Amino acid sequence: MSTLKTRYTLTQSQKMMIFVLSMSLYGLSNMFTELIPSVQLGPIELSVEYFAFIPLTLCMLFHPLYAAVGAAVGEIIFGELMLGQFGGLGELEKFITFSLAMYTAGRMVSDPKNRRQVGIAAITGVAIHQFFSSVIDIVKVWVGVEELEAVQGLAESVVLIEGVSFLNDVLFSGILFALLPTLYLVPRLYGKIEPLLGMKPRERNMQYATGAWLSPKLVIVGTLLAAVALGAELMSESGWSFGEFELPGAESNEGSLIWISIAAAALVAAAIILILRRSARRRQEAGQLDG
Amino acid sequence: MEAVKRALDKISVERIKLELLGNAYNSSSTVLGRLDPRTLLIWYLFFAIVPWFMHNRTILLGMFILMAVCTVLARASTFIIFILCLGLITQVGWMFLLSLFFGGGGESVLPMLTLTLKLSVISLASITVFSSLDPERLSDGLSALGVPDAFAFSLSYGYRILPTLLEEFHQILLSFRLRGLRPQKNGMLYWRTAAYYLRIIVLVFYPLMLNTAKRSRTTVEALETRGYNYAVNNPQVKKLKLSYLSLKPRDWMFAGVTALYLIALFTLGTAFPELIY
Repeated sequence: MSTLKTRYTLTQSQKMMIFVLSMSLYGLSNMFTELIPSVQLGPIELSVEYFAFIPLTLCMLFHPLYAAVGAAVGEIIFGELMLGQFGGLGELEKFITFSLAMYTAGRMVSDPKNRRQVGIAAITGVAIHQFFSSVIDIVKVWVGVEELEAVQGLAESVVLIEGVSFLNDVLFSGILFALLPTLYLVPRLYGKIEPLLGMKPRERNMQYATGAWLSPKLVIVGTLLAAVALGAELMSESGWSFGEFELPGAESNEGSLIWISIAAAALVAAAIILILRRSARRRQEAGQLDG
Repeated sequence: MEAVKRALDKISVERIKLELLGNAYNSSSTVLGRLDPRTLLIWYLFFAIVPWFMHNRTILLGMFILMAVCTVLARASTFIIFILCLGLITQVGWMFLLSLFFGGGGESVLPMLTLTLKLSVISLASITVFSSLDPERLSDGLSALGVPDAFAFSLSYGYRILPTLLEEFHQILLSFRLRGLRPQKNGMLYWRTAAYYLRIIVLVFYPLMLNTAKRSRTTVEALETRGYNYAVNNPQVKKLKLSYLSLKPRDWMFAGVTALYLIALFTLGTAFPELIY
């Protein structure tokens, strides 16, 4: 018989404390990263993109939702508004992608003492954020330029630039300023920082009370699917015949092909729903279903 | 190497403080600064979204002229405009060069020019609006339009707490430097020195996190004593706070002039889509 596990619940003011803490710390660090110069090697830029370790650490130690949103707000206020470089709607997209990525990373960690888990979560969080922001930049050019296909090589060059900056941000600033500091800080702060906010440390394998539907698995699978879709789209756009094959009769009955692909999509969707439901039931049986 | 040294000098705490003080609260004297924040925000929303879906060059050029006039009216700082131009040129320039590399030709210039026009309309709109709103009016305008109050709170809290935080950061940084040993040689491109400072900056956040945690607890407890949570959820309090916002004749005039200009522009644009190139 498994006993009912205690949920990780917070009072209103504790949520506010986490929000304020994360906002002021990450905001402060943002002012420095805005001012640290970057090394330009042609279109490639080696730069300290952000101190992602601060929101990552806080998301792993406290409730990830409030820490992630707090960090995103801090970035907008300290890094943009106060330095006089607020970009308006462009910041909204940053806000959403950043808090989503940090939240996912925080949710992936069930035990802050487990270094492997912390490391994987940290690098995944950065990768998700950078991936989404690259995709958004690419889409912006596609929407903004009318005759994209007419311009030779524009599509490729945009993707190349974004791809290189993605790799830089994940491999250079991701490892130096997200992975290593997080590995250093999380086990050290665990159990020390929580009492200062008047709360108990997260216990191992504790479940969160809210936002369970937005599980890290969902976000990661979604990101991978988006990557595959984008890659396929790029292949077909640029006409690189890379593993291109024609089904017999594909020319004549295009209509039925559409139906086949819709059926395939439906199958995949059904499978995902089944898996989700089964895992929900398993959790219910374990006596720790949370809404 | 000089450049690296100069850049390292730039990261002094005093400089950041000065930059901030210069930036905040210097904007309510311009023509646009006297408008209601809600008018400005809605106006901005239009010019931030619509240009993306415009492919008519005449209309885009007309919008660009309007934005240029507004930027002059808002007296945006030349430094920000310079940064904007630099960013646009480098971004679009690299794309153009690479597209040449992938086999494009001179014909890629025109679509790139359209893209640049779009991007500059959007960025000029944001510069115009956000440099004519001081933080207080911005946060009131946002909360009048339904943005959560936590944002407005964070904005004022940020301005209040930043000098304290910087002071504390500076002190911890100095104590790390006192106890540590600076690298003897600067290394190629000053990389040793840069790495040393970056490592310290990261380490400083360990004590800083603990201190800030204490401080944020005090802040929230003070807020609770004053009934913050209650006030945030009470519509009457919000109404009282925002009662000074009102749409004056000049707001209507501003909106009317923009609308008339846009109508004229759209008629012109549909009649002559290829007016310039």
